[in-house]
Amino acid sequence: MRKTLQKQHSRTAGLALAPYSVWSLLFILVPLVFVAYYAFTDENFRFTTENITRFFTATSDLKGDDGTVREVHTYIVIFMRSLKLAAISTVICLLLGYPMAYIIARAKARTQKTLVTLIMIPMWMNFLIRTYAWMTILQDTGILNSITGVFGIKPLHIIGTETAVIIGMVYDYFPYMILPIYSIMAKMDLKLLEAARDLGCNGFGVLRRVIFPLSLPGVISGITMVLIPSISTFYISQKLGNGKFFLIGDAIEGQYIANNLHFAAAIAFILMVILLVAMGLVKYITAKLVYGGE
Amino acid sequence: MKMSSKIYTGLIMAFLFAPIAILLLFSFNDAKSLSVFSSFSLKWYKELLNDRNTLEAVKNTLILALSATAVSTVMGTAAAFGIHKIRKRWYRTVLNSVTNIPMINPDIITGISMMLVFVFVGRLFGAATSLNFWTLLIAHVTFCLPYVIFQVLPKLAQMDSSLTEAAQDLGCTPLRAFFKVTLPEIMPGIITGAIMAFTLSLDDFVISYFTSGNDFQTLPIRIYGMTKKTVTPKMYALATIIFFVTLTLLLVNNFVDNDDNRKLRNKNKNTNRKPAGAIMAGALAVVVIVAGVVIGFNKQKPLVLNVYNWGEYISDGSEDTFDTVREFEKWYEKEYGRKVTVNYTTFASNEDMYSKISSGAVSYDVIIPSDYMIARMKNENLLLPLDFKNIPNYKYIDNEFRGLYYDPENQYTVPYAYGIIGVIYNANEVDKADAGDWDLLWNEKYKNKILQFNNSRDAFGMAMYKLGLDVNSEDKKVWDKAHKELMKQRPLVYSLVMDEIYNMMESGEAAIGAYYAGDYFTMVDAQAEDVDLEFYYPERTNYYIDAMCVPTCCENKELAEIFINYMLSEEPAIANAEYTYYASPNKLVYENEGYIEEMGEKAMNILYGKSGGFAENYNKNAYHNLKPETLDYINTLWETFKIN
Amino acid sequence: MKKIIELKNISKAFDGEQVLTNISLDIHDNEFITLLGPSGCGKTTLLRMIGGFENPDEGDILFLGERLNDTPPHKRNINTVFQKYALFPHLNVFENVAFALRERKVPKDEIKEKVTEMLNLVMLGSFANRSVTSLSGGQQQRVAIARALISHPKVLLLDEPLGALDLKLRKDMQQELKKIQQSTGITFVFVTHDQEEALSMSDTIVVLNEGRIQQIGTPADIYNEPQNAFVADFIGESNIIDGIMLENYKVKFSGHTFDCLDKGFAHGEPVDVVVRPEDVDIVPVEKGEIKGTVTQVTFMGVHNEIIVDIGGFKWMIQTTDSVNVGENIGITLEPDAIHIMKKSEYSGMYGDYSSYSNELDELSDPGGDE
Repeated sequence: MRKTLQKQHSRTAGLALAPYSVWSLLFILVPLVFVAYYAFTDENFRFTTENITRFFTATSDLKGDDGTVREVHTYIVIFMRSLKLAAISTVICLLLGYPMAYIIARAKARTQKTLVTLIMIPMWMNFLIRTYAWMTILQDTGILNSITGVFGIKPLHIIGTETAVIIGMVYDYFPYMILPIYSIMAKMDLKLLEAARDLGCNGFGVLRRVIFPLSLPGVISGITMVLIPSISTFYISQKLGNGKFFLIGDAIEGQYIANNLHFAAAIAFILMVILLVAMGLVKYITAKLVYGGE
Repeated sequence: MKMSSKIYTGLIMAFLFAPIAILLLFSFNDAKSLSVFSSFSLKWYKELLNDRNTLEAVKNTLILALSATAVSTVMGTAAAFGIHKIRKRWYRTVLNSVTNIPMINPDIITGISMMLVFVFVGRLFGAATSLNFWTLLIAHVTFCLPYVIFQVLPKLAQMDSSLTEAAQDLGCTPLRAFFKVTLPEIMPGIITGAIMAFTLSLDDFVISYFTSGNDFQTLPIRIYGMTKKTVTPKMYALATIIFFVTLTLLLVNNFVDNDDNRKLRNKNKNTNRKPAGAIMAGALAVVVIVAGVVIGFNKQKPLVLNVYNWGEYISDGSEDTFDTVREFEKWYEKEYGRKVTVNYTTFASNEDMYSKISSGAVSYDVIIPSDYMIARMKNENLLLPLDFKNIPNYKYIDNEFRGLYYDPENQYTVPYAYGIIGVIYNANEVDKADAGDWDLLWNEKYKNKILQFNNSRDAFGMAMYKLGLDVNSEDKKVWDKAHKELMKQRPLVYSLVMDEIYNMMESGEAAIGAYYAGDYFTMVDAQAEDVDLEFYYPERTNYYIDAMCVPTCCENKELAEIFINYMLSEEPAIANAEYTYYASPNKLVYENEGYIEEMGEKAMNILYGKSGGFAENYNKNAYHNLKPETLDYINTLWETFKIN
Repeated sequence: MKKIIELKNISKAFDGEQVLTNISLDIHDNEFITLLGPSGCGKTTLLRMIGGFENPDEGDILFLGERLNDTPPHKRNINTVFQKYALFPHLNVFENVAFALRERKVPKDEIKEKVTEMLNLVMLGSFANRSVTSLSGGQQQRVAIARALISHPKVLLLDEPLGALDLKLRKDMQQELKKIQQSTGITFVFVTHDQEEALSMSDTIVVLNEGRIQQIGTPADIYNEPQNAFVADFIGESNIIDGIMLENYKVKFSGHTFDCLDKGFAHGEPVDVVVRPEDVDIVPVEKGEIKGTVTQVTFMGVHNEIIVDIGGFKWMIQTTDSVNVGENIGITLEPDAIHIMKKSEYSGMYGDYSSYSNELDELSDPGGDE
């Protein structure tokens, strides 16, 4: 009967964890194994690395702006393009979202709640419809140009450009940047800021040396929550990019639609590996940055 | 707040709410357009309330979101508690990493990977349908769980651990101590987690797209399915309603909450019962929802017909039209004395439908694909021969539409609608002299005013008709030529479109585009004042037929045939032809005087009047199924085209 | 007196580190017993074992003669006042106090009556509806006590309950606690690292260090008759000097033979000699039994605290005489000022004031057990 209490403790913990452990094994880990399995097999489920090699070796002719044609690696180009658009969107989200999160966190409790609510509301509207509405705003004869036209500004051509796709990504994933940063900032002890002031920091110094390092975990999860969906989106690029921006998400969906499940899985697998490794690295580096390493 | 902060907040809010304002505005638009506002009207709200399928989809979306939230909140909270208690460091690290995966993995990968597993398991157990409500629920719970866990964990860490000891000390069992003390303490985290889970589940499209089956269509999937036709303004009305409902709920919640806090501060009311009550209510809600879902599904068991069709491709009762599905259910019950439930779900493209069916993920009783896809499915033994004894109305199908290449023996298909691709142009911008053939879409004068299909077969098709190439060639060189022609057109093209063509043509955003004949009229109805849309058929163009078939995964073939037969009877056939604006192969339709009058002379001419017999033109110009190697090659060419 | 709790040969290790070693202790009915020791001595662990929050690796806990080891906390007729009170922040004062009664489904009227009575006892009658987070430290303390006492436990465990209060409040609460203990007749097991608190409140003190009991006794016993250098040093101030027992009642240290009241040692046995700073008499240097030089003088209000170098060993002496740094003084000791202890593992570790500084002592005052 010794150690019963400790046993009981770990038993409760085990009991509480049991459903989730089983669940995550079955529905998080096993599916990943399946992706890998499909990625490394052909349609008869024989082992092959062909799908993976195809990702890295398939080539296309790319016509440059000056009319010259050069041969490029199709999927590498697609991936880099997705990464570029997603990275720009993420940076914009961060630049716009960080001050917003700070403003909310410093507002009165009641205002905080209202603002957070307002930021969440658009997410309750279907994202397909929201994206659709942006088409109306951004097209050449759209709302935006009607408004700027009143002020005598030359019509802007936005729809179908990178700008439109980026606006769509920023819009759709913006709340995911604000919320995690806000929740970290709201918990921040005001005394710390006073202490920093006391120790001679000016306003910017407080931001740079105290607020920002402390909010870093929120920033990281914000970046994750914006970068990941925007790198893999296929709807926004279809609608706002006038179908001209073929991103990695479109490639996966395209292969799925074309019934090339194994190649779709291969693209997914490669994307997954890259993202998991990248995110793991980011986590590791921020842990070092924030806590000075262990 | 400082003034600068106020201004900044205002700008951000303007950004966040701009599209919602647009939806709000256009939900009151009389015309079916999201770019041209004609006059104020409440008709889309009326339409929405009469649209059983959309309301069903809304209900489904809510049921799914609530169930997923309930399950993930309970399981996630328990999991967070467990993770918090774990003393072994490596175990905690492993669990944390695994929990991170659904957050780090893109939706599309989560969706595909889960679909692979579900289909595998379904095959293992020999189930006709491996994707259904439960797989959808599992998928949603899976991606909601991390958000709950990562909201609850920090609250547990912040909590003074002696609180639970104090409760035990005062007579609580560990379990009761958890409910009476731990739970109220971590409640804010749980609530935030639950709200996030609900929000994510409500808004999810990608994962649902891969894991949903035939029995349960959510709103996002329904909307995505509308990409062949256009997203109806009903959806804007719906968005507007959702907006105001959530706004009210949240404001009320804020208000009530603040009221409570004030009470707590001033009057110091007894607050003991509140958290316990909330937990009880929450638990009860879980039970009710789960029970409701279970009962709901059991009730549907008796007789179910699963129909899979293009989005917006059936008369569905909107704008006072004939509600085909509901009328069939009524008719069937009257005729056979048995209740039948039709699960009507939609797809966005032939390929989309094919992927679902060929993966064995879902079973359907009636599908309505296009000709070349029928040929492919027949080759792959995915279709069942029909018993025409059950389809006497087949006699109304004209001989022109029988014995076509995809079904030469008339065994597998019953034509539903047919059409021809034509060119639509804005006569106010385009010189009529330039119109008449495919060259218009390659005319440099109209640079950045031209639209092209955003699907490979049709886009290549246009180039091939223009060049006089065989659209069914298995010769790679032929496709290379078409690809080259498309690349030539590429700098002129404003946008690659499917349903986006409606808005772009109606508003004058673009001036030239090829699309299915009947859709021209939908665009004319909504065209802006300074837009004058005209239509013509080029010399060679695509003829297609969409036909009703029964796939091998069908679970009730006779019922499927009864449905097909019903679709051929006068009232539904006319209603569907009028609704879709496509030509009907059914004599009961095109010989019906009421129909002819309703459509008008111009429409009848365009839809039915092209010179020469249908069969002759069709045999020359229809798409056929191609060999997998050729399809793969086209796909590669298409990707090359798209990345440019 | 009746034994209410018996601890028998209790040992406990956490992650291979021995926290408690072979502890045996009897706690009697109606007793105010204090577990005293520095941080990490195991006193809180011992208390938590009685409360049921830890299980011993070895040994038994008996409650009124019955084995209690496997009884979960909620089934023990023992309640705890936690270190930081552990008041439930989501409940108001009334509901915190009523918690145990609601748990036992006591009728509402009775709850109201009992809680009101209990709140009056701790002088918080008018605070029933206040949120606990709005109370001061002292008030929270009283709520915690009221909450723990409401179900009339046989034993009340108090884990450093006064640690977070300021000095004045602490003194008041000490008195109050003692009063409550006397009026309710409940056995109090009190954990503290503050020796003054222990001396002023307890019937019995248990001195713990490094997981072992050093001494059990009344406050007077512990103060006057410490059993080893650790206890002597930990309870009050002590000069602990190496000495040699010449014979019964004769001890030699610092080069002088003193008369003392201790006997029973072997002839010539090395011993530890304890001299309390207040027991030393300062005399002119020529009259001193031993002599030394003043190295430091600190004014303490009622007396001066001076450090005197006597043959390289620094003594602390409390005196009302005024002396100056550098002055040579003489010292005499009455026989009852001298206490002799057997040598122990702690010999030589304590009782030398060569590195003494008032401020440092204040700063390094241990704040809690954790």
